[in-house]
Amino acid sequence: MNMLEKIQDALPLRDRLIESEKMMKETGCYDGVTELTLRKQDPLKFETLHTKLRASCVSAREMARRISASPGVREVGEMVVAIYTPEGDAIALSNGIMVHVHTMSRFIKWMIKEGYEANPGIRDGDIFANNDAFIGTVQVPDVMDVIPIFHGDELVGWAGAVCHELESGGITPGGDVCLAQERFTEGLFVCAEKIGENDEIRRDYVIRCERNLRMPIYWVLDEKAKVASCIDMRESVRAIINEIGIEYWRRVMKEFIEEGRRGQLLRTQQLTVPGIYRGHTFYGHVTEGKPGFQPLGPSNWLYNIPIEMGISTGGKITLDFEGTQPWGYHSMNCTPAGMDGGMFVTLTQHMNYEGLVNDGAWMATELKLPHGTWTNPDNEMVATATSWALLLPAYGVFQRLLSRGFLARGFVEEVFVGQVNSPMIEMGGTSQYGTPFGMAHFECAAAGSGALAIKDGLDTAYVGWNPESDMGNIEIWEQNMPMLYLGRSILPNSGGAGKFRGGCSFISTWLINKTNHLRLVTSEHSSRVFDNAGMCGGYPAPTCQMHRSVRKTNIKELIKKQKPLPHGIGIDPNHSDLEKLVTGVHETSEGPYITAPHKSGDIFTHAYNGGGGFGDVLERDPIKTASDVENGFLTAQAAVQVFGIVLMEDTHGTLQADLAATAKLRKTMRARRLKKSVPVSQWMKAERTRVNAAGFVIEVTRMYASAMKLSKRFTKDFNSFWGLKSNFMYKVED
Amino acid sequence: MTSYSKEVIRDLAAGTLPWPQTKRIMSAYKDDDRFFKIVEVHQDRVSWKERILLPVGDHLFIVQGKKARVTKCECGHEFGHYKKNWKLQANIHVRNTRKALRELYPNNDIPNPDWMEIREFLCPSCGTLHEVEACAPGYPIVHDFEPDLEAFYRDWLKQPLPKE
Repeated sequence: MNMLEKIQDALPLRDRLIESEKMMKETGCYDGVTELTLRKQDPLKFETLHTKLRASCVSAREMARRISASPGVREVGEMVVAIYTPEGDAIALSNGIMVHVHTMSRFIKWMIKEGYEANPGIRDGDIFANNDAFIGTVQVPDVMDVIPIFHGDELVGWAGAVCHELESGGITPGGDVCLAQERFTEGLFVCAEKIGENDEIRRDYVIRCERNLRMPIYWVLDEKAKVASCIDMRESVRAIINEIGIEYWRRVMKEFIEEGRRGQLLRTQQLTVPGIYRGHTFYGHVTEGKPGFQPLGPSNWLYNIPIEMGISTGGKITLDFEGTQPWGYHSMNCTPAGMDGGMFVTLTQHMNYEGLVNDGAWMATELKLPHGTWTNPDNEMVATATSWALLLPAYGVFQRLLSRGFLARGFVEEVFVGQVNSPMIEMGGTSQYGTPFGMAHFECAAAGSGALAIKDGLDTAYVGWNPESDMGNIEIWEQNMPMLYLGRSILPNSGGAGKFRGGCSFISTWLINKTNHLRLVTSEHSSRVFDNAGMCGGYPAPTCQMHRSVRKTNIKELIKKQKPLPHGIGIDPNHSDLEKLVTGVHETSEGPYITAPHKSGDIFTHAYNGGGGFGDVLERDPIKTASDVENGFLTAQAAVQVFGIVLMEDTHGTLQADLAATAKLRKTMRARRLKKSVPVSQWMKAERTRVNAAGFVIEVTRMYASAMKLSKRFTKDFNSFWGLKSNFMYKVED
Repeated sequence: MTSYSKEVIRDLAAGTLPWPQTKRIMSAYKDDDRFFKIVEVHQDRVSWKERILLPVGDHLFIVQGKKARVTKCECGHEFGHYKKNWKLQANIHVRNTRKALRELYPNNDIPNPDWMEIREFLCPSCGTLHEVEACAPGYPIVHDFEPDLEAFYRDWLKQPLPKE
């Protein structure tokens, strides 16, 4: 008999959690709260109280951001805080990286289920931390702290805070540890650990951080920021309980969540249409020939991510990932906690923009995550350091599926083509100050968004994982890394084409400065396939741009002679501005960037993604397009070639749309595309022969083979669609 | 209860409503009669008489046809019964070469056509581009949406649905 079994009778908190889950199962309502009696008694008091809790969360987060030393937290707000029930369900939350509100919930519940109340004990003033995704987070840099809230001897809730750390001490510098192929190379793990008592972080924990991270100041000061915010929220909750009484608190926190759950169901009924929605996306993982990757699995891997969404008449949303790929020896695997988090942050943006935003919304949904896939690995040793690589495209699909419902229901202003991936650049080595350093650059928090059904997407102003999008100031980033900006500019045509185009992204061009050892690593970088899509005729945004670098440059000479410097890659796909203006060793590389360290004088470019388009390109507004070309969002070539819009300069040299010429050109283009097309039935007949003969490159065949191996439904649907024998399967040697 | 005129909904759907007004609509409580208004707006726009039961695309509708409910293009072209995937009755243009992909992406990097292709689904009559799929070669065509029309009208709209 182990220790936990011996003390099983003395785990009232765990018993309470089990009871709460049982009540939910039996009644269908959170914790068995079938009536919102307090809300009915005094709705104003009820609503005001939730607003107070939310305000205390927002205020605690803002205060904590001023304590943090990390530009990720200070500049771009990579933090979220929340207040939880004793059982670990979120009651209220701040703005910020809301994905973690529910992952923290999993962390608290995990500790309760593991018997933490007996050992190591849960006492007033304790601080618990975690960054283990299988316990409850998304990836290793997402480090969360929670503290219990006691009223007298009674545990009445939890306060929690998460910061995304810029450095986590993995095999490659930064937090999204690109090269991690197993858990053991991801960096410093804190597995639901008590890291402090009496409101103070333990010295031995700080020492462990200091000795295992490339840049411990970020992590350690973020810990202090998180603990400060948790204490702030704890004191707010205590003050509220003193005001309203403990009896009211015990009931009202449950009613808040049940109200949130009911609100989500009602909003689904109000905004969508019941039925089955389907979509897919892909991700191309290319590591062939790159240094450092161990031969543990295929070096190149094409991921398919099909999603089927069901909306029941009761308003419940179910997302089913059946048919997707298995987990792999790379860092892009995700845990159910991460998948939950993705669901939560997406719902919060699209449906829970009013009412009581909390874990109740998540309870009105269901995720079906097939065991053994990247969404739910059957091996807890897998790496999850860049799980966003697959998670972001997946929840972009979810946004498009929801949007189909909004469109059908007439809420066109809510239709949103969705989020895109966030290629991350991280670095380490010797800083411009001659000291060891490491960090993730978080300007990726400002990509282009997908289009809406009524307007263009946002340019450089949206990411799915943090709706409070911000790229941070150049000057702040330059203080923290040995690189200077030669340019940070809009990438023309980087939004997907459509009646409404996707938002454009930007590209940064850096000059490596004052260092002779700078390791640059990128991840979440799908340059071989689209990992986004358009909607209703809109095209996907371009694939992630390949990296361009130049070593042994003549940049010093160019500066001395005051010659033109490159500020981006330009718009010539065959010869970049770097090639035109700088001499040196030029390199273009796809996929994650892993290479030898850079030195002062080298140049490097890294681009972010734009969003998908909405609607038929031939319906785009010519006047708006002229303005887009003037401002560098589109090129004149794209205007005419893609959108069929003829532009001309007026007498002042300003671009104007030639409406008559545009109408004529579009008529021709419409006829031409129809002429090029064939009936789908005809295309399918020819394509079936190729499918039957597996006339694909190995990566495509392997994708089908592994999806078929894992999913009978995928196999059945595939064979049925192509009219193949029911036992047809692709096979590829592992 | 929030409600807007048909004209406001028409301009909103067309993307021509001034932004401050659009923003107010986005931030306000949703209008419960929206579905009926949007159907009226669409119905006014199309040249045919069949009743629109549900919009499913920018120019694509499920309508009550003479014999059955069908998916119909704004131009009047019919794609067959609404429960069947309309794409199978469409025309398709596949971009699976670097040249064809480069036409759409004149300056940016493009996917490897061995790994990914773009499929354009067009109305055979008017040439409207209704939907685009970006997928691996050989991937089955997706049936985007199978609405539960009966339950939608009966349980959510509380309105009778004409019999097929």
